[in-house]
Amino acid sequence: MATEIKLPRLGQGMESGTIVKWLKSEGEPVEKGEPLYELDTDKVTQEVEADASGVLLKIAVAEGEVEVGKTIAVIGEQGEEVSISENGAKAPDRATEAPAPAVSPVQDSGPVRQERRGRIKASPLARRIARERGLDLAQLRGTGPDGRIVAEDVERSAAAVSRVQDSGQVEVRQLSKVRQTIARRLTQAWEAPVFQLVVSADMTQSLALVDRLRELHPDERPTVTDVLTRVTAAALMRHRDVNAHFVEGAIHIHPSANVGIAVAAPQGLVVPVIPRAERLSVAEIARARADVVQRARDNKLKQDDLDGGTFTISNLGMFGIEQFVAVLNPPQVAILAVGASEDRVVVKDGDFVALPMMTMTLTCDHRAIDGAVGADFLRTLKQLVESPALAL
Amino acid sequence: MPELSYREAVRDALVRAMREDDDVFVMGEDIAEMGGSMGVTQGMLDEFGPTRVRNTPISEMALVGTGIGAAMQGMRPVVEVMYEDFLTLATEQIINQAAKHRYMSGGQLKVPLTVRTQGGAGWSPGAQHAQQLEAWFVHIPGLKVVFASTPADVRGLLWSSIYDDNPVVFFEHRTLYGIKEEVPDELEPIPLGKARVHREGEDVTVIATGRLVHEALAAAQQAEEQGVSVEIVDPRTLQPLDEEALVESVKKTNRCVVAHEAVTRMGFGAEVAAVVQHAAFDWLDAPIERVGAKFTPLPFAPVMEEWCVPHADDVLEAVMRTVGRNGN
Amino acid sequence: MAKAVDRADLSQEQLTEFLRDMLLIRRFEEKVEERFRAGELPGFLHVAIGQEAVCVGVCRAMEDGDVFASTHRAHGHTLARGTSPNALMAELYGKLEGCSHGYGGSMHLYDVERGNLGANAVVGGGLPAITGAALAFQMRGEPRVALAFFGDGATNIGTFHESLNLAQLWGVPAVFVCENNHWAESTPASQHLPIEDLALRAEAYGMHSITVDGQDVEEVWSGAHDALEHARSGAGPVFLLANTYRLTGHYVGDPQVYRDKDEFRETRETQDPLDKLRDKLELSSEEWERLDAELTKVVEESVEFAKNGTDPAPEDALKNVYA
Repeated sequence: MATEIKLPRLGQGMESGTIVKWLKSEGEPVEKGEPLYELDTDKVTQEVEADASGVLLKIAVAEGEVEVGKTIAVIGEQGEEVSISENGAKAPDRATEAPAPAVSPVQDSGPVRQERRGRIKASPLARRIARERGLDLAQLRGTGPDGRIVAEDVERSAAAVSRVQDSGQVEVRQLSKVRQTIARRLTQAWEAPVFQLVVSADMTQSLALVDRLRELHPDERPTVTDVLTRVTAAALMRHRDVNAHFVEGAIHIHPSANVGIAVAAPQGLVVPVIPRAERLSVAEIARARADVVQRARDNKLKQDDLDGGTFTISNLGMFGIEQFVAVLNPPQVAILAVGASEDRVVVKDGDFVALPMMTMTLTCDHRAIDGAVGADFLRTLKQLVESPALAL
Repeated sequence: MPELSYREAVRDALVRAMREDDDVFVMGEDIAEMGGSMGVTQGMLDEFGPTRVRNTPISEMALVGTGIGAAMQGMRPVVEVMYEDFLTLATEQIINQAAKHRYMSGGQLKVPLTVRTQGGAGWSPGAQHAQQLEAWFVHIPGLKVVFASTPADVRGLLWSSIYDDNPVVFFEHRTLYGIKEEVPDELEPIPLGKARVHREGEDVTVIATGRLVHEALAAAQQAEEQGVSVEIVDPRTLQPLDEEALVESVKKTNRCVVAHEAVTRMGFGAEVAAVVQHAAFDWLDAPIERVGAKFTPLPFAPVMEEWCVPHADDVLEAVMRTVGRNGN
Repeated sequence: MAKAVDRADLSQEQLTEFLRDMLLIRRFEEKVEERFRAGELPGFLHVAIGQEAVCVGVCRAMEDGDVFASTHRAHGHTLARGTSPNALMAELYGKLEGCSHGYGGSMHLYDVERGNLGANAVVGGGLPAITGAALAFQMRGEPRVALAFFGDGATNIGTFHESLNLAQLWGVPAVFVCENNHWAESTPASQHLPIEDLALRAEAYGMHSITVDGQDVEEVWSGAHDALEHARSGAGPVFLLANTYRLTGHYVGDPQVYRDKDEFRETRETQDPLDKLRDKLELSSEEWERLDAELTKVVEESVEFAKNGTDPAPEDALKNVYA
């Protein structure tokens, strides 16, 4: 009996995905759990595993955007007849799926994606040009017979997009899915009323701890970020108002510190999450962090790696940046921007001394957090960074 | 370069082949003293005599079948069927015999026969003297089918048909016999299966045959005045079809009109449209338009006949539809 | 109309050769019937049992360089003209070794080297091309004759009349051999012919005609010989009418519900051309049985040859469409 492989919903709010390429070809045997194809969602490009064993009888969608729930391939026995029952059917109505949890951790609060139920009337040539240039036909108005989108309509739209950069040798890069998501979410973040709080911490003990941990765990090679993740998780558990999401009309306070770490991956900024960091040792965090960061750089993150973050740390210390302001990562209510640890002359016990100092800037969503709440959290964080033993 | 009429060009190919090669001869009704009902073979009896310019009874089965038998013996007969309507009388011989001897014999035989015929409306002969039946024959494996639209083409293609080792059904168009074109001094054979681009253009490709090539040229002129640039391609050989040339043109212009005088429904143009849409699907910016005759027998009354068969304005309208404009 | 009965030219030895050819055809056709009924042979088969004397008499009179067209009932003509039983049987089995290389089958047997321009499955379909081949011989001044076999049923179709008319008009060297077996498939002559003497049809075109007893191979040979020489001499085409009997159904498996059983039995008993020739030659039982055993073996071997032949690849179907 053949199994129809449908495009899975890999995260809340996912309506569609773009199939990048198939890792198996038609006729090849497939084991359940083996990577089957690469999928680009609006968050990440990932390998999706086969959910049946057999022979890949048919690839219904070789590449391109597909609605969730549509049949994209069929796995069955060699020689089996393939008929695709509901290809082209609408994505299953969400109401018929499992009811949404009362608290949805990463509810996308952005504007609802334009639903495309009806077929868009466009000439084959128009479709091809749009496909090649990454233009969305749904955004175009057709001027051909019966409102058909013809090549000229697509060309006009493409020209409008590129007119600004039209002089000279400007390279036009269409936004990738990941880039589009970054743009949308950060623009959205900009709408939130935010304030920043800045504090500097003496890193002497933390750095000594890092050295010591490296001796103990040469394989994991813990870093300042790992220590920082661990102590931040501890601080969040003490100031749970900061470990929260702001969603329409409510603040969701989370029981665990799922700490996201901003990573500059080749395809753009991604924020893999280390879940329940408050329960992990620094070495465990280091291992988890090394794993997700590597996979982020290899473009191999899964949706799970990105879901459920409750707080984000963005560290640009390795670039020598002293301090900076991070933009909120909605629906999280706060984000910590971490600068470099560097020796600074400070006054200690009445003397000028050189100490390794690190400046941290907390950006807070004022809709959820007042200044004192943020300041209190930051004070705790400073204490824990300066005396990490208190956190462990 | 001399200028020849289409009629003279056909004759020129026949005469040159017969001068060069004793195996070439012509047979047909009224072709000797009378010189053919279209005057194509005029004067040939005098030069070649009644053995090689043979009048036949009104007997299409025997006319074509005798050609088949002579061809199987290695001669290169050219038989003239006066009107293509009368080809229907010889279809058994063409379809079951000429097209299949090579195949049924497992490659032992060749049938280098050319069946010349002509047809076409525009002079109100009614339903049995002006049909365009090329679609009947392009459907038969083993036959080659040619439809020449200009003097230079008809001469070079007829030569190649005579010297092709397969049976060729060679269509001429009655209303084209008088048109003139400069032709090279030396007869240059035109290979079967090669299309001709009559006019280059950017916006729409019109794939036309026979008389419609000329109608399309007129339509292109008018379209040009309205800012639409039309490319005109004549396949010339309908079987084998120069698919590459047709597809290449459509890939350039992204729009396609197929035009012939024959009835549109199930016509040669339907096959062309299928070939083009399949090979150039991602290049098409509009549905392929077809231009052809209405689905009726040809009526007698001139106003009805005129209305039933396509003309330049029909081609122009189709061209304009492909660019999203309603004709004028 | 002439009746040809000049038999002086044929020696006992030649007639024995004729018997051998006829018996080969008979045993071959019987084997074809047997193998068809066994389900081994695809397609549509028509055997010529009862008409062997026409096949052999005419084909033995032809010369090298002469050509002929046959009909759907073509095994006899093909064998009589020298195509090997192996090549013929291989064709019936659809093998590349077949005389049409698997492209023709029983109804489209060709052997161009031996002048066989093809058996034609359209009744009367081959006649115009025989006129054309004869025209080519005439135009080139070659002393060759083109000959068409066809049945009484074909004399009703347009190609027969158009071909005879044109052949006579142009005086081409053609011989039209009518194998008058009195049946157009299942329809008796009484239901498809308004005249009894088919030679009248040729005479209407002014064509010389010869009528022979198609069950007497000697008479057939003589008539064919005269007809061929007439045509070869430039005197014009000839209509050779051979009255014969189909001692079997129209096709293999034909139940012949349309035929009177008693009359059919009587015809088989009295009109078998092999019996007639065997009596004439006064062959002893031993001689007959020796010949029979030999030819039966030849036929058996042809079946073995055919079964061991090479199947064409399916895609070989794309070859030979164009030259």
